[in-house]
Amino acid sequence: MSRGRGTIARAWSRYRKNPGAMIALGFLVLLGLVALFAEAIMPHDPNKQDLVNAFQKPSGDHWLGTDDLGRDMASRLISASRVSLRISFQVVGSALLFAIPIGLIAGYFGGKIDNFLMRIMDGLMSFPALILALAVAGILGPGITNAALALTVVFVPSFSRLMRGQTLAVRQETFVEASHSIGTPSRRIIVRHVLPNAISPVVVQTSLALGGALLAEAGLSFLGLGVQPPDASWGSMLRRSYDFIFTEAWMMLIPGLAIALTVLSFNTVGDGLRDALGIAGVSRRERKERRGLTTVVRGANGNGDATAAAAAASPTPTLPPPVLTEAIRERNAKRTDESIDASRPLLSVEGLEVSFQTPRGLLKVVEDVNFAIFPGETLGLVGESGSGKTVTSLSIMRLLPSPPARVTAGRVMLEGRDVLSLSFREVRELRGPTMAMIFQDPMTSLNPAFTIGNQIGEAVRWHEPINRKQATKRAAELLDLVGIPTTRLGAYPHELSGGMRQRAMIAIALACNPKLLICDEPTTALDVTIQAQILELMKSLRDELGMAMLFVTHDLGVVADICDRVAVMYAGQIVEQAEATALFHNPQHPYTEGLLKAMPQDTKPGEALYVIPGRVPSPGEHDIGCRFANRCAYAKVECGQQPIALGTADDEAHLSRCIRVHELTLGKAP
Amino acid sequence: MLTMIARRLLVLIPLLLVVSFAIFGLVVLVPGDAAITLAGGPDATPERIEQVRQELGLDDPFLVQYGRWLKGAVQFDFGNSLQSSAPVTEEIRDRLPVTLSVVGAALFVAMLIAIPAGIMAGLRPGGILDRLALIGSSIGISVPGFWMAMILITVFAIQRSWFPAIGYVPFGEDPVEWAKHLVLPGLALGALASASQTRQLRGALLDVLDSNYIRTGWAKGGAPRWVIGKHALKNAAIPAVTVLGLQTGALLGSGVIIEQIFSIPGLGTYLVRAIQSQDLPVIQGVTVLFVLMNVTINLLVDITYGYLNPKVRVS
Repeated sequence: MSRGRGTIARAWSRYRKNPGAMIALGFLVLLGLVALFAEAIMPHDPNKQDLVNAFQKPSGDHWLGTDDLGRDMASRLISASRVSLRISFQVVGSALLFAIPIGLIAGYFGGKIDNFLMRIMDGLMSFPALILALAVAGILGPGITNAALALTVVFVPSFSRLMRGQTLAVRQETFVEASHSIGTPSRRIIVRHVLPNAISPVVVQTSLALGGALLAEAGLSFLGLGVQPPDASWGSMLRRSYDFIFTEAWMMLIPGLAIALTVLSFNTVGDGLRDALGIAGVSRRERKERRGLTTVVRGANGNGDATAAAAAASPTPTLPPPVLTEAIRERNAKRTDESIDASRPLLSVEGLEVSFQTPRGLLKVVEDVNFAIFPGETLGLVGESGSGKTVTSLSIMRLLPSPPARVTAGRVMLEGRDVLSLSFREVRELRGPTMAMIFQDPMTSLNPAFTIGNQIGEAVRWHEPINRKQATKRAAELLDLVGIPTTRLGAYPHELSGGMRQRAMIAIALACNPKLLICDEPTTALDVTIQAQILELMKSLRDELGMAMLFVTHDLGVVADICDRVAVMYAGQIVEQAEATALFHNPQHPYTEGLLKAMPQDTKPGEALYVIPGRVPSPGEHDIGCRFANRCAYAKVECGQQPIALGTADDEAHLSRCIRVHELTLGKAP
Repeated sequence: MLTMIARRLLVLIPLLLVVSFAIFGLVVLVPGDAAITLAGGPDATPERIEQVRQELGLDDPFLVQYGRWLKGAVQFDFGNSLQSSAPVTEEIRDRLPVTLSVVGAALFVAMLIAIPAGIMAGLRPGGILDRLALIGSSIGISVPGFWMAMILITVFAIQRSWFPAIGYVPFGEDPVEWAKHLVLPGLALGALASASQTRQLRGALLDVLDSNYIRTGWAKGGAPRWVIGKHALKNAAIPAVTVLGLQTGALLGSGVIIEQIFSIPGLGTYLVRAIQSQDLPVIQGVTVLFVLMNVTINLLVDITYGYLNPKVRVS
């Protein structure tokens, strides 16, 4: 019970903050009072005729003028408001009276009852709304009661459907199933559990329907089927003014305005309720400027000492020298069409800082990230979820959506150009031929409305001057390359398995033979058996095409398999960077040691799996010093006192962000 | 695709049965002795009452009456008008093109406004155009169409005579006049329909632009005209088209009032006249036709939906 009241209180406090909705509610309350106390407010008898004073313009006595029979318009408007509002409430109220039980019964019991009831509702819904009301009202004869009855029939089906849908959803909740299984009578479950939980959308819909009913009543009255003279509703007043449209056009303004404002208020209240009750709908969103290009505002987060101290701690980012293994050399040899300088980084990320706009202000999620990728090299970016790996990789492509994201410091140098300083056009030309990306979720990364052949082919066509036919040919070659039969060119994404879709994504990324391929957890969303296949495919394609790779993953096993060098991220920073073999055999940061210990491959049967205690701090949660300190077995007081820079550990190719690195002996075994 | 259409048509059969039963059942709602009421009330001559009773077969059991009516209805025979004694079907045939013209004009206007407005608003949420579109659509949803029609007549037909205030000219007679007569009704009906259409398109576009496959589009190095123009719009059209189907139902209904205001001799004015004289066969016949139009439009919407969303074609 208290839960229900809490919900209402919370909804109300949210609703109160919406000025538009509050104004609308105020207007409706005022209107309600006017309708209730119409007799006291009306300056004249609304039905008293005064033919001498017909068609008077507004004056002190008749402040909205008089109509064709000399009746006071203001008084008629007030008395009509009572009629119009009463019918709206009556129609929606009686519709709910029918619809709630129908919806509850259909949704709760399902089966034949559901089928029967819903077929009837479908039938009623296939009538154009007003036509059904017209037919019923027409047969019953004109009059206010008949009009209300006719309109009720119109509103029952949509409410029933809504109620049924809600009931179905709530019914499948665990607590309702549990209640059912311990033998609680259905009626009790419906009244105690289903109804309160299903009612929110109905409340919203009620507000919208009140406006709809008002409009519909006005329509019926306009056609002469609703209120009969001398009584008036706003609709019948409009009808009357229509007769004098050529001579006294002003007469139609006020009743029309009354209808429009009232319906607008009902709708605004409904929208406000929807937002307040947290029901998804088409709602306002923050302003978005540029699609497909992350905003860069360097220095936007230069707030005070912390940043300055961090900058002081790492004056010039130390980038380890290239490691030219045989494998990398072989890969570079594959790229015959370009001259490769293996000693210069293809990509270098320098002091990258990314912040998110939140209600609490700008929040740094990635900070002081430095690394380089040399031609042909594969760098693994490892860390738990929330460590900033994906944000970093998307920043390189400038694909993080702005807002909320923006780059607040640093450079991303790709072939000597700072991607963060380029225009949309320039970045667009890099995406595809120079850098390409494969995403985590193949199920949603392909457009469901186009064939994969189309989506692969266009990736080529957007960069190279080839025609449709040639594009299809290239798409076929690419499909073949990633191991999909070329007969599947015309397949839509939903016709392919997850693994196949990821292969198609790889084909898209490789379409323009990129120099750098960024892979953001490309196997995480796939079955384990498929993971191995995709990984194997990516490895062989890399060696065949010779591109450099940034491989983002949380799986150290994958890293060992595919990467030349590894950077470990923790809470938005790189904490260790080294050649893959060095990192595995000789970790130089306590966090890396913890990750290695937690690898299931190294756990003996019967032994408990190692888990690093605690959890990753959220952005903005961590202190000035080492972010891992509160989970670290080796932490001392000074670890938390100052920002710690990424410095060299045992050799210049091995970096660690730990001030105790030279005193500790770390390793896999405890 | 063909199986999908066939399946949709099959589902329609029970639906139309329910509908036909409801429509025929209207006769039960006739107050008092149906024969007397339909013949024109207590003042009607006994001969006239007897004639109506015979013509509608009101003495037979209800189900027999329904069976007979349904048999006629499936052959588009709804009997004769009690008013003019002419076959209802013939009278409908004369008026159907008129109503289709009005509804078509309204849909045209609605699309003409909603597509650019919805796209502009969806591309720059929070921007000036977006705010204008939101305000405009809020007003559009709240304003009664017939009031809008009266204002249009006052401004564009009476104050300055750009367009005729009332009437209708068949297309075959004079296409230019036909179009001119449809401008104001089309605007009155279509401007309001465009309001919710604009909102729908905006919302759908916002959701689609946030989706992963649009990110893929940017990652491929797509320009806005490809990523938004090709990828986003096709997907954003799916919910917009669905709402279009629902909208058309409302459009057919409010069209009745609009026809009345502009004195357009379509099905709407025919229905209103029949209602005023309680001409049961006409009310039934026209209602059936309106339902059929609504159902047909929704079927067309489903087919479009199948084109836009390949997933629907198979499942």
